[in-house]
Amino acid sequence: MDFDYLKQKRILLVDDEQELLDMVSSIFTNEGFCNVKTAKTVKEALCIAETFQPELAILDVMLPDGNGFDLMKQLKNKSDYPVLFLTARGEDEDKFRGFGLGADDYIVKPFLPKELIYRVNAILRRSYKGENPIVKLSGSEIDFDRAEVIKNGEHIALTAKEHDILAALYRNAGRIVTLDALCEAAWGDNPYGYENSLMAHIRRIREKIEVNPSQPVSLITIKGLGYKLIVGDK
Amino acid sequence: MKSVPKLIKRFVGILMLSSLLILVINFAVLAIITATQAPNGSPWTTAEQAAESMEKSEQGYKMSDEMIEELNAQNVWAVYIDNATGECVWHSDNLPDTVPLEYTASDIANTTRGYIDGYPTFTGEGEDGLIILGYPRDSYWKHMWPSWDYQFIANLPKTILIVLALNVLIIFLIYMAANTKLLKSVKPITDGIQALHTGQPVVLKEKGVLSEIAANINQTSEVLQSQNYQLKKKETARANWIAGVSHDIRTPLSMVMGYASQLESNKQLPEEERQKAAVIVKQSQRMKNLINDLNLASKLEYNMQPTHIAQVNLISVVRQVVVDFINLDISGKYPIEWLTDSNLNTVIINADKDLIKRAVSNLIQNSINHNENGCTIYVAVKEEHGKVCKIVVSDNGVGATDEQIDKLNNSPHYMVCDENTSEQRHGLGLLIVKQIAAAHKGTVEIRHSEYGGLEVEICLPV
Repeated sequence: MDFDYLKQKRILLVDDEQELLDMVSSIFTNEGFCNVKTAKTVKEALCIAETFQPELAILDVMLPDGNGFDLMKQLKNKSDYPVLFLTARGEDEDKFRGFGLGADDYIVKPFLPKELIYRVNAILRRSYKGENPIVKLSGSEIDFDRAEVIKNGEHIALTAKEHDILAALYRNAGRIVTLDALCEAAWGDNPYGYENSLMAHIRRIREKIEVNPSQPVSLITIKGLGYKLIVGDK
Repeated sequence: MKSVPKLIKRFVGILMLSSLLILVINFAVLAIITATQAPNGSPWTTAEQAAESMEKSEQGYKMSDEMIEELNAQNVWAVYIDNATGECVWHSDNLPDTVPLEYTASDIANTTRGYIDGYPTFTGEGEDGLIILGYPRDSYWKHMWPSWDYQFIANLPKTILIVLALNVLIIFLIYMAANTKLLKSVKPITDGIQALHTGQPVVLKEKGVLSEIAANINQTSEVLQSQNYQLKKKETARANWIAGVSHDIRTPLSMVMGYASQLESNKQLPEEERQKAAVIVKQSQRMKNLINDLNLASKLEYNMQPTHIAQVNLISVVRQVVVDFINLDISGKYPIEWLTDSNLNTVIINADKDLIKRAVSNLIQNSINHNENGCTIYVAVKEEHGKVCKIVVSDNGVGATDEQIDKLNNSPHYMVCDENTSEQRHGLGLLIVKQIAAAHKGTVEIRHSEYGGLEVEICLPV
C-alpha cells in the first residue's frame, strides 16, 4: 500500500509549549511529512489557517487565549477538514466533548511517536481517499470500487453486505477483527444475534475469494473471536 | 418501619391483658366481700328459727329464752300473728309503740316486702301463725319489688358477655384514639432516625410532645451532614490533587517519550545508545501507565469516576480486548486462548464498557508482566443460571504462592490502607480491577489456575 500522497498534506499543529511543538514537528519531519506549520495561540492559529489552508489540524485543548474545542469550531467553519486533539486532559468527559463536537481522534499525552503517526495516517487515509487500490489476495483480487472479485480472470460480483464485511477486514488486514465488529460493519449499531448470518456471509465470501473454500488461506477463522484477512500473494 | 406495628401489637397486648386482669381481680374481691358478709346476715333464717321456737301453752304463746336473748342482743323486736284472726297473739317486750297489733292480708304482704315504721321486717312461718321480726332501722335495706322480667334473667349470661365485650371494645377504641396521636408524632421520629444512616439530610418538625427528640435528631443530622461534607471535600481534594499532578506530568513525559523514541529509531546512532533510548521509552511508558492507573484508582476510590452504565454484550466487550492483545502480540510470546462456550454469544449486562475493558486488559497485562518468558493466557466468559456472569482470566505462567494469593485476596492496597504501608508495593492493576468490579456490584477472586499459573475471576451480577 502506497500512501506517499498523504505525506504532502498540510498539517497545522497548535500547542502552547514551544518544546512540544518542536518535538511533534520533528516526528512528522522524520516520517517524511513536509508541510507542517505550528501555532502557539488561538489567534496565531486562525491567522495561519487563513493562508496555509491546512488539511489536518492537531490541537491542544488548553491554550493561553482560549480552548481547543472553540478553536476547532472556528477552523471547521471556514473549511471542513479533520481535527485531532493532542492533550494532557485524559478525562472521559473531555473525550466525549471532543468527539461530540466533531473531532476525528483524541490522543492523550504522553504518547509514542509511532502512535501519533499511525493515527494521523489513519485519519488522512479516511479523509483523503485516493484511488482504492486493487487488493491482491493469495488466489484472487478484490476491487472494492467496483465491488467485485477477480478470480482466474473471472469477475464475481460482491453483495453489499459482503463488500462491507470485506472492507472492515481489509481496513485491519493482518489483524483479527471480532465477530461483533464485523456484525456492526454489516448490520449497524445493534448487531446482536447476527452471528449465524455472519457465518453464512463469510462462507459465501470464501467461495468467491478462495481457491479452495473449505481450506481458506486468505480469510482465516480465529475460533470464537473473529476473522482475519491475509493480504498479498504468497 | 417494622418497629411501629410491633410496638402497637405489644401495647395492645398489654392493655388487653391488664383489663382482663382487673376484671378477674374485681370479681374475686367482690366474691370475698360477699362471702364475709353472709354469716352476720340472713335475718330470714333468724325469722324461721324464731317462728319455730314459738310454743303454745295454756297462757298463750311463748318464745324460747335463748331466742329472746339472741333477738335482744341484736336489738330486734318480734310480733307473732295468729293465722286465723290476724291479731297479735305475742310480742317481745321491746316492741315500739308505733308497731300495729292487728294485721290485714295486705298489711302482711307489705310487711313481708318492706318496712313497718321504717324498721326492716322479716317474716317466718310458725305452726299456726306468722312471726314478724323488726330489725333496727339502719341495719338492713330491703329491695321492695324483687321481680324481673323472665327473659331478662334467662338472657343474663349472654347480656353480661355482650356488655363485657362492649367494654373491651370501648376501652380499645379510646386507647387507639389516644395512641394514634402519639404514634403519629413518633412516626416522623422513627423515619428520621432511619433516614440518618442513608446520609440524607433530615429535617423534622419540632412540634408536639416529642419536639425535643425531633430537635436532637435534626442536630445529629446536621452534624453528620457537615462531617460528610468535610470528608467529601477532603476526598475530592485528594483526587483532584492526584489528577492535577498526573496532568502536569503528561506534557514533559510526552517530550521524554517522543525524543527517546526518535533516538531509538535513529539509525545513525550506535546500537548501544539506541538500546539506552529504548529503555527510556519503555520506562516512560511505565510511568505513563502508572499515572493513568493512579488517576483512575483514586477516582474510583473516591467515587469521582463518572460511570457510563449501559446495556452491553459482555462477550463482545471481552472479545474485543482479547483480539486487541492478540493483534498487538507480534512476537507470539503470549498466545491467548478463547475458552468461552461457542454457544454463548450474548450476555447482556448493565455496565460501563470502558471500565470492563480496562479491568480485563489489566488482568491480561498482569499475566504478561509477571511472565517475562512468555505464557499462554486463557480467557473465558461464563453465565451461571442467568444470575451472575463471570470473566475468568488465567495463565500457565509462574503463578503465586498460597501466601501471596491470600494477601492479594485479602489485604488492602496501600492506596486504600490507613496503616503502615512500607511493605506493600504491588501495582495498581489489581486494585483497579477490584474497584471496577465493586462499581458494578461484583466481586473478584484470585486463585491458582488449573493450567499452573494464576487465575482471576470477576463475578458480575446480570
